[in-house]
Amino acid sequence: MIGAIVATFLTASVEWVEAYTILLAVALSIGWWRAAGAGLAAIATLGVLTGLGSVGLAHIGDVRILQFFIGFFLILFGVRWLGKAIARGAGLRKLHDEGAEFAALRARSDINEARAAWMIAFNGVLLEGLEVWLIVVALGVQTHHTLAAAGAAVAAALVVLAAGLAARAPLSKVPENTIKFTVGCGILAFGTFWVLEALGYAWPFAEFSLLLLFGFNVLGGLAVTRAYKMRPV
Amino acid sequence: MRGFIKTLFGDARNVCTAAICVAAGAALLHTPAAMLAGFVLPVALLAGAAHLAKH
Repeated sequence: MIGAIVATFLTASVEWVEAYTILLAVALSIGWWRAAGAGLAAIATLGVLTGLGSVGLAHIGDVRILQFFIGFFLILFGVRWLGKAIARGAGLRKLHDEGAEFAALRARSDINEARAAWMIAFNGVLLEGLEVWLIVVALGVQTHHTLAAAGAAVAAALVVLAAGLAARAPLSKVPENTIKFTVGCGILAFGTFWVLEALGYAWPFAEFSLLLLFGFNVLGGLAVTRAYKMRPV
Repeated sequence: MRGFIKTLFGDARNVCTAAICVAAGAALLHTPAAMLAGFVLPVALLAGAAHLAKH
């Protein structure tokens, strides 16, 4: 359960930092109250989606089908985040730059139009929050701690909000790639474990195998990053 | 809608990579070397992540 909550908190932190950049850019055009209104509307939509997703998944009667379904989703998510983090760590892709994102948003021609700016904020927070929703529902339902996972996502939002209010600027010092790498390794470990268990595989060390899988992903991911750095492709 | 689907599932390359790895792991479970699935799937997924990093 602790692993699931930590993974949710870290995932949410990265996504909320990106959502905060969007809200900040929009707030400079239409004011904090309207921008915050758009953000809250998006978060309310995500809350409804979380409820619907949890109830929908809980109705899947066969535990193994549910476990396979959730595990596969986590693999989709984890392999993508790990791949991105490796590419950025090895210099194959630019690191995500909140300052540049902020400047690009401010340069948009429609950001000074109230309705368009509101939609930019709403869509931005909704899309960034979708990955948080996925992790909250997947890890929450599978570990039977959906409320705790949702609480971790809300706690991450509060931490980012507090940091944002203090900085009044894009949060560009957050080590996003390191967090993405760690979360990718963790989520991939959960996905691998649950998919094979759902297919009838008996893991040699039961749940302790999760830690071994995480360690393998971290060491393997670092080795691949190093190999790509030494021999650019 | 496109952004919604891409956010949830990733692009086609991501879905194919994950599906091929999981299919390989599932197929291995039906062979006499089933006990190796717990070693093969993590290695395949790491290779998949390395492939996605390059493309």
